[in-house]
Amino acid sequence: MSTPAMSVDLVEHLADREIIVVCGSGGVGKTTISAALGMAVAATQQKRVIVLTVDPARRLATALGLRSIGTDPVTIDPARLRRLGLRPRGELVAAMLDMKSTWDRMIERYAPTRESARRILANPFYKGISNTFIGSQDYMAMEELYELHSGREYDCVIIDTPPTRNALDFLEAPNRISDFVGGRLLMWLARPSLIGWRAVNFAAAPFLRIADRLLGSDVLEELAEFVREVQGLYSGVQERARSVYRLLRSADTGFVVVTTLEPQPFGEAEFFCTKLREYSMPLRAVVVNRVLPAALLDPAGVTAATTLMEDRGVARWMGEQLGERITPDVPRHLGGAFLTLHRLAERNEKQVSRLSRLGQVPVTRLPLAERDISDLAALAQLAAWLQGKGLEAA
Amino acid sequence: MLGELLSRRVVFVAGKGGSGKTTISAALALLAARAGRRVLCIEVDAKGDLSRSLGSPPVGFTPRVVQPNISVLALHPEESLQEYLRLYFKVPRITRLTPLARVFDFVATGVPGAKDMLIVGKIAYEAKRSGSDGPMWDLIIVDSTATGHVVPQLGAPRAMRELTRGGIIRSQTEWIDALLTDQRRTLMTICALPEEMPVVEALELAERVRGEANVTIGACFLNCTFPVSITPRYVAMLNRLADSKLAGVSAERLGGDVASVVQGVRLAQQLYDRSQQYARRLRSAMNAPVVEITLEAGARPGLSATRAVAARIGEASR
Repeated sequence: MSTPAMSVDLVEHLADREIIVVCGSGGVGKTTISAALGMAVAATQQKRVIVLTVDPARRLATALGLRSIGTDPVTIDPARLRRLGLRPRGELVAAMLDMKSTWDRMIERYAPTRESARRILANPFYKGISNTFIGSQDYMAMEELYELHSGREYDCVIIDTPPTRNALDFLEAPNRISDFVGGRLLMWLARPSLIGWRAVNFAAAPFLRIADRLLGSDVLEELAEFVREVQGLYSGVQERARSVYRLLRSADTGFVVVTTLEPQPFGEAEFFCTKLREYSMPLRAVVVNRVLPAALLDPAGVTAATTLMEDRGVARWMGEQLGERITPDVPRHLGGAFLTLHRLAERNEKQVSRLSRLGQVPVTRLPLAERDISDLAALAQLAAWLQGKGLEAA
Repeated sequence: MLGELLSRRVVFVAGKGGSGKTTISAALALLAARAGRRVLCIEVDAKGDLSRSLGSPPVGFTPRVVQPNISVLALHPEESLQEYLRLYFKVPRITRLTPLARVFDFVATGVPGAKDMLIVGKIAYEAKRSGSDGPMWDLIIVDSTATGHVVPQLGAPRAMRELTRGGIIRSQTEWIDALLTDQRRTLMTICALPEEMPVVEALELAERVRGEANVTIGACFLNCTFPVSITPRYVAMLNRLADSKLAGVSAERLGGDVASVVQGVRLAQQLYDRSQQYARRLRSAMNAPVVEITLEAGARPGLSATRAVAARIGEASR
């Protein structure tokens, strides 16, 4: 728009990162941008890249030329990339985050004994906790990220973050899970015998009675049993949470925040960038997606469009110039369509002046794609844009 | 379609984040209130946007009147539990009594679906609540949780029943489940945007709502469709005015350069085309009325934007 075009090669800029975390509010194109980034890295660098998505939507699979993305990593056939004119130097792999098996593996890894792991996995409450625990998906994404990174099978791990309601859910996830497993509440419940405890703790007795009446007897007891098992995981989980934070703060990691210029997602991006700074996590780049063409802000265009929309004689004039009959609808719609987009572009322009507030990092602007990104060719186009290729002064 | 929705007791408004749930909820509330119904709007993922769309500052857990015949409340599971305990166990407000707060934490994190149950339970409670003459509210509109979480939420009563043996909750879950799955009393509406992912997700959500939660879909709102119809033929005409032979004359007649307008109009044509295409796709696959709500370019969320959307819904269902 008004600032000079800065053709940053985002891929070059992120070349030294082994982990790229792509974040931003829902619907800004995180998943597609992660996939395109993966494609660009694999095309230009001799690396094995894995794109880990949390979005089960089939569309990404189609865009990558896969029938579906499963939880087992799938390699994108290099022949398909070559057909698009790319000469991939590396390898591109995609996988979907498998919540259930990541949880299961976590339990198996940290349970003190195999027997204890088995009991936890078989408990009816286990399923519920793994599904409903706040930030569970966030933490599992990190757990998987950590595993993939330490497995050394891939040179670069790109992950798009879950659509969190709040940026904090993501950044707080490691703390939250260790608080949860080791929390005072669980300590309290995990005392050797809840029944014995009931008898001695006069103050809490009425509450336990209520819980019994609410849930039916035994339910609380069973839950306490479960909680006792989970306690055994504590030291392992806590240690891992610390390692995850260390990794996310290290020079190996780069956060990329994706946003559009719409007020609401932009506001969330601003908030997220502030939080990244607070958590000492390295923001490396900002991608502004779906930028409207600068032509929409051209004052001469606005004048012409207004004439088209409002001038009653303009249809006749058009007819004379073009040598055909033109109904008044034609200029009115043409002018109206331009002015509608002009108003949108104006609203978005307000955010442009606030871009520098996100952080002193390169900003890549991607034009609003004319079509949805629905095949490899469209994804390759996006990958080229991320490298600063083929972008006009947008 | 509108009459169908407004004659129910509970209408859920669901859809992906950013798909316009809040504005649609607020617009439906305006329409219902105008038809003389006493409306309660419930904001589930409370950010205060729903009350703002109805021209009021954010509200709390106690319903507050924001427009004639419209009240709004922001739902928090913890307060919902406190209210529940107060009503059924005569437990006083417990903010200071830590043991119960702990029990809440424990139950909420430990028991699958407990938080969802407290949300759905509160909605059902408000539906059942009676005032001085008859029910307190004629219609409850729920601005639901973003993404697909609304499905497990609606299924919470059943999930709860499987885990509890006896207990008061068991019998209570039964009538709540009956209310939600009765299409004469409860309907779901789904919001979408004219883009690939939101449309796919809306269709998937509809399938899950019907299949897993057993709730009937009353309507689908396709938000932000491009408002001006533009055909490739229109664009071609303008393009001819911009080509080298006519550019000078055109610029003079129109008072400005046509090239920029051509660029903008090309994009507009694609957006219009996409809107049409996704509307057709939803119509053929949604199995429920599809209402297109055009993009209000530059409109800020607020009462006037809500009124405009309400007017469109009104027109569409005539």
